[in-house]
Amino acid sequence: MSNALGKYLRKCRTEKQLQEGNSFSLRQLAGRIGVEPSYLSKIERGLEPRPSEATTRALALELGEDSDTLLAMAGKVSGDLQTIICKRPQVFAQLIRELKNMPDEAVLRLVREVRDGNW
Amino acid sequence: MIELHSNKLAVSFPELPLKPKLTIDFQRTLRIPDDGHDYPLPPGLGSFPLRHIDDFAPRVPANWLKRGGVLLPMWQAEALWLNFGARVLYDRETAYPFAIKVATGKISAITGETWQRGLSRNPQNYLVAPNQFWLDGYCVEKGIIRQFVAMPLGDGYSVEEQITGAAEFGGIQIEVFPMRPAIFEKRFPVQLRNQEALLSRKDNGIHYCLADADPSMGLAPGGRMRQEIYNDPFSIHDWDTEHGSRCFIHVVNSAAWQAITGQRPPSPPPTAAQYTKAGYPWFDYYDAEAKAVTGSKILAAVKSVFNKGGEKSSTPLPENESVMVANLVNVRAGLKNNQVREADFAA
Repeated sequence: MSNALGKYLRKCRTEKQLQEGNSFSLRQLAGRIGVEPSYLSKIERGLEPRPSEATTRALALELGEDSDTLLAMAGKVSGDLQTIICKRPQVFAQLIRELKNMPDEAVLRLVREVRDGNW
Repeated sequence: MIELHSNKLAVSFPELPLKPKLTIDFQRTLRIPDDGHDYPLPPGLGSFPLRHIDDFAPRVPANWLKRGGVLLPMWQAEALWLNFGARVLYDRETAYPFAIKVATGKISAITGETWQRGLSRNPQNYLVAPNQFWLDGYCVEKGIIRQFVAMPLGDGYSVEEQITGAAEFGGIQIEVFPMRPAIFEKRFPVQLRNQEALLSRKDNGIHYCLADADPSMGLAPGGRMRQEIYNDPFSIHDWDTEHGSRCFIHVVNSAAWQAITGQRPPSPPPTAAQYTKAGYPWFDYYDAEAKAVTGSKILAAVKSVFNKGGEKSSTPLPENESVMVANLVNVRAGLKNNQVREADFAA
């Protein structure tokens, strides 16, 4: 498995460390997200390529990154999305397959508007 | 276009070059005493839930459905305020300006006049965001509003019923117009980035409309509160009235909310006396630069819920005793974007 997530996390963290100092050292960041520094180091080096959803979300929050993007880099889909899909698996599976090749702008146009009526 | 995002109305104009966007949410709050005294701003206790009316079509009256819009639950005699949030455009050091009309039962909360198309400057029948962060009630005097309080439509308390004699619409109606793109470019050209200046800028406002129907509530004037409705600092011709978005908000009696939506409504808020006794804060907001519009004589002549109740020999407002506000937080112009005046419940 590639180490895209680990490399990306290390890049984000070291950039933050340069901007904001040692609060983004491996040790201090690990402390804030509730893991051992050695575990965070393993994630960054690709030796632990699939951290838990909670750890990934905590890292996203600390680093100011999008949690869905980091989860995707870890090969995961967030739990809330899984719940949504599992409630109506056929509908959402069909929807996602139909949308897979649409450009982002076209997908975003599918938002639901509040209907205005006659008043 | 208007969408629902996390119990907020997201009003956007993707067809305009800068895709301006404004959010409006409806904050739960204390009902201030309706006792003739002028009170400061009460806190925000979280957003009321909003739901697409079409999702509950079999369980709402037909005349609600034809108006479209969203549903919002309120208990009888519960109060609300409108919170406007506009996205800051960092290279302009401002949020995109919007003109916002707000009515209840199709009566303007600013002028007391019946709902009209477009914008009017004399008297000004709209708010301007980002200057105006909040709207808590009806503009009855310069610098004084009477709080929005929900009462059953048909009982004679609502502003709509007191002015028109009919209980036809109820709820809240909102309409939002963005500034014309060419005018915006002229007034707010691209600036070199200046983070400190950005953080000191104020928030923007929104326009929307709330309405109610049969299990429905109308909004009526409650206690007096210090709040200025600001004069439009721009020209009436700066607003792009060809690109308005509007919405009808049906205010549903919370007692009927679960029957319609299958979901529990929020609990009734604490009383003003309970809140004040606990030492939680009230708020005063000042903007030394902005000028306030004069109040509406029409709205000033409308009886408050308490006074109307006296006329009907009823007591529509439980626990209306006066309170002495001790913990007053002064909030001055310069709030960060989307800041809501929230109480600190950890105290």
